[in-house]
Amino acid sequence: MKHLKPINQKAGRIEAQVAREEMDVVGLESRPEGPHIPLGCSLVFSPGWEVDSTGGTAGLCQPVERDLFDCHLACFWPAHVPDQLNHSPDWTSQCASAQKDWRKLDLVFP
Amino acid sequence: MRREATTRRALDRLPAAGLVVGALVFLGARALPPVPGMPPAPTADLDSAPLASAAGVPAQVEDDGYPIDHEIIIRRCQRCHERDDEGRMTRISYERKTPEGWQTSVRRMVALNDVALGPDEAREVVRYLSNRQGLAPEELEPGRFEVERRLIEHVYEADRDVENTCIQCHSMGRVITQRRTREEWELLMATHRGLYPLVDFQGFQRGGDGPQPVDEAIDHLSEVFPLETPEWSAWSASMRTPRLAGTWALAGFEPGKGRIFGTVEISAGDAPDEFRSRASYTYAESGQEVSRSGQSIVYTGYQWRGRSNPGGADELREVMTVDRGWQQMTGRWFSGAYDEFGPDVTLTRASGGPVVSGVHPPAVRAGATSAEVRVHGLNLPASPDAADFDFGPGVRVESAEGGDGSRVTLRVSVDEGAAVGGRDLFVGGVSLADAIQVHDGVDRLEVTPRAGMARIGGAAFPKGYQPYDAIGWDDGPDGEPNTEDDLRLGRVPVTWSMEEYTATFDDDDIQYVGALGPDGIFTPAVDGPNANRKGNRNNIGDVWVVATHDSPAAGGGSLRARAHLIVTVPLYLKFDPWQGVPAGRLVP
Repeated sequence: MKHLKPINQKAGRIEAQVAREEMDVVGLESRPEGPHIPLGCSLVFSPGWEVDSTGGTAGLCQPVERDLFDCHLACFWPAHVPDQLNHSPDWTSQCASAQKDWRKLDLVFP
Repeated sequence: MRREATTRRALDRLPAAGLVVGALVFLGARALPPVPGMPPAPTADLDSAPLASAAGVPAQVEDDGYPIDHEIIIRRCQRCHERDDEGRMTRISYERKTPEGWQTSVRRMVALNDVALGPDEAREVVRYLSNRQGLAPEELEPGRFEVERRLIEHVYEADRDVENTCIQCHSMGRVITQRRTREEWELLMATHRGLYPLVDFQGFQRGGDGPQPVDEAIDHLSEVFPLETPEWSAWSASMRTPRLAGTWALAGFEPGKGRIFGTVEISAGDAPDEFRSRASYTYAESGQEVSRSGQSIVYTGYQWRGRSNPGGADELREVMTVDRGWQQMTGRWFSGAYDEFGPDVTLTRASGGPVVSGVHPPAVRAGATSAEVRVHGLNLPASPDAADFDFGPGVRVESAEGGDGSRVTLRVSVDEGAAVGGRDLFVGGVSLADAIQVHDGVDRLEVTPRAGMARIGGAAFPKGYQPYDAIGWDDGPDGEPNTEDDLRLGRVPVTWSMEEYTATFDDDDIQYVGALGPDGIFTPAVDGPNANRKGNRNNIGDVWVVATHDSPAAGGGSLRARAHLIVTVPLYLKFDPWQGVPAGRLVP
């Protein structure tokens, strides 16, 4: 890589990224293995609610409020979001747009 | 919070159907009522006249299914759950589960099926079913993490495919804490499909010919978790209400705060299976003293479910397992919106003689002179003699100072050439294995848990915190790290920091996710879209939690270790059978 120079922005970012990772000194650490997902009581699809298929959060649907009502309407996340079919048909009645009115949503204990 | 007042349509109709008695009525000193589903106690001082519905051990007819003879269940449930000539009711008679499992079913019946059931009736139903159709201790053991609400890395080794089908939506702990007939497992899958039509696409079906994941799950679960088992037959034949009144020595460990030692006084409650408790304990590191009083019910002869300091900001739920000999209880006391705070506990019955709960600090260095070491327990000598405390080779006890019997403070010196390793303590005819570790310096650091999870909150939804601990290790006699002879030295003082866990280009999660306190407890940032982040992302992300320990053993340098932290989105729905988030209970 010594004789190559990035000629566009993306290549520049890749080079910066590689340099950052090479500076990560891990000699004295007891290095953990990657976490097994899900974490016990945690729950997951792929991509999941808490984590994506890589075990991180980068690939999650964001912000969560953007997609929240679809999760509710289709019962897609039955253990994470109140479901419209059974337990909470009126969950969104006080909230026309979750991205704006998310504070009006309730935490539900079915 | 507004939420607690306005949510929970179902809870309005079942306002106090928690597992724990909220407001027990004082019924009189000795007129104890029989326990639903339990055989009557054969003692003279207990009112042994059973209800017709409570007589005898759980009866089992020749073929599958348990007869139900409880008046409330018959009256309230028979409209849908038909009762046959032998007293068996459809569905109900063909499954066994934990109190939490039964509680969840009762709540669902009230919420979705218009069952008219008062709180007192609901409690009685859960009690009866948990006692008559519960789990044996051996059956519950692999699933204790579920009822103790532990965020662990659980792997269901018996069948990874079935695990994958089930954990698409919920913990495997829910599955392995149930027993059903094959038909009942099939009906359970049908119930899933009826309530949540998308499960076919999400996990139950993969398409094509041949058995589908749901079929494989039914086959596996019917075989591994059948209704009738030798364990339950043996346990239910001998099951009785345990007599737990007395004094118990308490030892425990609370993530983020360290070890605790103290006493729990347990007295009889208003029914044979109900108890009152008064706990007092001290955090060994900080010296903080805590007093708690609580109430509990013991289900199935061994499952302690309690609540201490109810209604207060420091309320804790108590989930413990009583051992078969009624000499020890182990479990977890916890709180927090996601059950993330609280100690793991062990209670040991004190029968008059001394009990040694633990020694703090748990490790002393070879060559140490006059190091202070405290022995915690019960009935320890008030005027101790140093010669009575025997830590084995290389460790000399120079002085001993007593107190109220719960603690003896020792001064010990350790020979420079003492062999590294654990030392058993003998005192007053009792002993404690590996009471203290003799080491030659901290060689290695570990941050626990290795993978943690926090949830953003504080604006509309509660925060989910994550405590971390830094544990010191000695490499042991072989000098090699990560081998069997390594010595765990307990929590060591560290400075905490965070590093970026690089998952994307220009990853900047660390700026948004929250803060790690000097005590190792991570506090997540606020929930809701963040206009300052690209794409209005929430304050979620992945970071490393880093501990740094100044160590003379490392040549005057420092040791460091790190663990993964996922800061993620809230849960908007919680299947917590014991209801909601205690108001104001967010910070330890």
